[in-house]
Amino acid sequence: MNIQIKTNQSVTIAELVGDLDANTAAEVQQQILPLAKPGSKILLDMTQVQYMSSAGLRMLLSLYRRVNTAQSKLILVGLAEEIRKTLKMTGFLDFFTTCETIELGLRTIQ
Amino acid sequence: MKPLTVPGTLDALGAIANYTIAATQKAGLEKETAYNLRLAVDEIVTNIITHGYISTNCTGEVYIQAILDEDTLTIQIEDTAIAYDPTRKPAPRDLTLPLEQRQVGGLGVFLAIQGVDRFVYERANGRNRNRLIVKRRKCDGGTG
Repeated sequence: MNIQIKTNQSVTIAELVGDLDANTAAEVQQQILPLAKPGSKILLDMTQVQYMSSAGLRMLLSLYRRVNTAQSKLILVGLAEEIRKTLKMTGFLDFFTTCETIELGLRTIQ
Repeated sequence: MKPLTVPGTLDALGAIANYTIAATQKAGLEKETAYNLRLAVDEIVTNIITHGYISTNCTGEVYIQAILDEDTLTIQIEDTAIAYDPTRKPAPRDLTLPLEQRQVGGLGVFLAIQGVDRFVYERANGRNRNRLIVKRRKCDGGTG
């Protein structure tokens, strides 16, 4: 798992590259959760994540709670079809804003 | 396929994933079926490693084998941890609750069982054996 964090027009873009499983989710959580600061805007770019297990759901649940507490904004970008299905099946999907591309994400979150 | 034995640590999940993916390719599974099986195997093996070995301070191995016949692909997972039958775990009841009120975790087994056509558990010779079975072809007229 490779995690790149960069800033674009006051938006934090966290790009994940690789599989999100029980072995990699902890590291992602460690790096991504602190980005949820009061008023921050986060795009979690999952365009290059082809696989996500329930460990990824747990990470997203922690992130969601942190984002709510900090009153920051979060958009999930570029979800693979199968990952979207997993989110839907577990009742997670309705609680997240999702966008196809970073460009759309930037426009939506501003 | 030849069986694979890995140590019961989370670092082994990558090797298990590669083995499962190779088996799904050999079986010629459709993309979605293959993904769901990989997810199911990953969830069950993760449970064995975290709850069976790590949290009980036990060490052990995970034995995995793909068995291919004309109609099905079976992934058989065995371990020597304490007896645990995933099929007896009740399905999560809170899938419609807002995320603020969710329990953390408990979704892995649900995804595993949902993701395969048949899930068989047995305890034999001091081992847990989980068999995850998928059909290689959708039946005609099936709605999937």
